[in-house]
Amino acid sequence: MIAFKKKTFKVLYSIFALFSCVALGKLCSYFVPVLPSSLYGLIIFTLTLHFRLFNADHIKSTVVWCLKHMGVCFVPAGVGIINHFELIKQFGLTIIAITFATTFILLTIVGLHYQRYAVDEE
Amino acid sequence: MVSTELLSAHILSSFVVVAGTITLFQLIAVLQRKLNAIWLQPMLISILVIIAILLWQDISFENYFSNSWLLNALLEPAVVALGFPLYQHLETITKQWKSIILVLFIGAFIAISTSFVITMLLIGDYTIAVALSLKSVTTPIAIAIAGQLDGNTAITAFAIILAGFFGALVGPPWLKFIKVKSPKAQGLAIGAASHAIGTATVSNISYEHAAYSSLALIVSAVITALISPFMITFLAGLI
Repeated sequence: MIAFKKKTFKVLYSIFALFSCVALGKLCSYFVPVLPSSLYGLIIFTLTLHFRLFNADHIKSTVVWCLKHMGVCFVPAGVGIINHFELIKQFGLTIIAITFATTFILLTIVGLHYQRYAVDEE
Repeated sequence: MVSTELLSAHILSSFVVVAGTITLFQLIAVLQRKLNAIWLQPMLISILVIIAILLWQDISFENYFSNSWLLNALLEPAVVALGFPLYQHLETITKQWKSIILVLFIGAFIAISTSFVITMLLIGDYTIAVALSLKSVTTPIAIAIAGQLDGNTAITAFAIILAGFFGALVGPPWLKFIKVKSPKAQGLAIGAASHAIGTATVSNISYEHAAYSSLALIVSAVITALISPFMITFLAGLI
């Protein structure tokens, strides 16, 4: 029973922490519209944990669970491809080929360069 | 009375859509683990199965999207949750901030220029070239810049999803193949090339992957927002 209460407290505490950072992110994005609110929220969440405004030990288990299952939240937006069938018919293969090639270039450049720098620094 | 019935029908259909999407996603995730098949990516396969169901049942995307509001509402807190792995590696990251910014700057510069030039040469359409130049950045920022630079926002959204899946699916095996084995370098590369979709996928591999990928997601988005208007105007003048 005590373990259940502790778990419930941690879940509620994490939800409160996450949603307060979401709200603060929205506020920042409203006043300084440089980044989207979710990225402001991400930065604020990192800072609140770093400066111990929220207790990371209470949050860890819930956030690990969230990170493991967050992929499902991207599904509805991804289904949106269905609305671009006409464009895909017209330029689809070329767009796919360019996206594929340039994503590979970016992955390779960032991966190789950073590995070299990181090894040098370590 | 009628509005109450409509409301309860909407709640019921929302429940069916959300529960159905989650169940499908989890089933594929279990299957992927059992078969140990990387290509069986739960996010991608769920999208394809749902598209097939919508086309088969003649259901509009708008109808599906409005009923999946709960998952959309959780998208923002899910991205915010990526701040946790970032916090855990903050100390190491602050020690390497110079090399991280330099590498991501080079990455963003090359991504924008190669995509823009190749698209102009192959398709010859400025609006599509702008859209593809921004495909590695997280959706809200890319759409805002695309609108600002007269790019095609629908193609921007499509290319962002494509880049996300390419990096998420092929990124880890490709990086291993070219001998980039450090979790930091892998995370950074996938975050820079495949934004939140890539980050969500590599978060399952390790905490270090998640931390560096989240960092690349933020830093690349800021760098692209700052340099792309100048670069695209300059490149458009050259071609």
